[in-house]
Amino acid sequence: MKRWSAFAWYWQRISGLLLVIFTIGHYVTVHWSAAAGHEFSSSVARLSNPLWQFWYLGFVVLGLWHGVQGAYNILRDFKLPRAVLLGAMVVLIGAALYFAYLGFDTVLTVHEWKHHP
Amino acid sequence: MAYVQARKPLTTWLQTLLHYRWHPGAVAYVLHRISGIALLGYLFVHISTLRGLVQGEASFNEKMQLFTAPIFKLAEWLLFAFVLFHALNGVRIALLDLTQRGSRAHIALLRLVYVVGALAMLGMGVLIFWDPFGA
Repeated sequence: MKRWSAFAWYWQRISGLLLVIFTIGHYVTVHWSAAAGHEFSSSVARLSNPLWQFWYLGFVVLGLWHGVQGAYNILRDFKLPRAVLLGAMVVLIGAALYFAYLGFDTVLTVHEWKHHP
Repeated sequence: MAYVQARKPLTTWLQTLLHYRWHPGAVAYVLHRISGIALLGYLFVHISTLRGLVQGEASFNEKMQLFTAPIFKLAEWLLFAFVLFHALNGVRIALLDLTQRGSRAHIALLRLVYVVGALAMLGMGVLIFWDPFGA
């Protein structure tokens, strides 16, 4: 148990640093201009490239993992009754799994619009 | 001896909060947690919105039309403030925890967080409100 939480402590910092790199890349490519991020064709072109697909799958997993683990760190500090903490974590992890599925499905199917405008 | 925490009434909690010494590092700690919760919530919303891509161009454009309103541009800028603080302060935390010299320089690093953050906010303000690189 102790070793596990030490791993979690390191992983929160390392995933955070990785997310900084992902976020800079995301902002530079998608939010450099209004058209780069808000136009259908530029989004489809980006998500038809396997490298960008891989990039965004990683972004979704890291973002959700870091976020849910961070929420756990906050909740744990409040000395909540065990059942409440457990219930909150079930909801958070459930939501993260659902949004990970949604994100993966979006990233991996958007390229189908490339040849059917 | 087992330590048992007494249940504190709300007024005691408020009094504690009001008498709290707001050291710059403590402020950053609270801001990091608040921005973190906000960003997790936003990540859920962001993934949902981009679902419009799968439903085709018309559906996506309809959703994106919403974000061209001035109030959403302001919201995007505010969101960037949350992202920026969480990212810069996160790097600061990693430096404090993972390097030998980081903890000695934590206030200087915090100053750097706010200065770099303010400059990046100005830059992003130009990108969002004037769109100089747009078509």
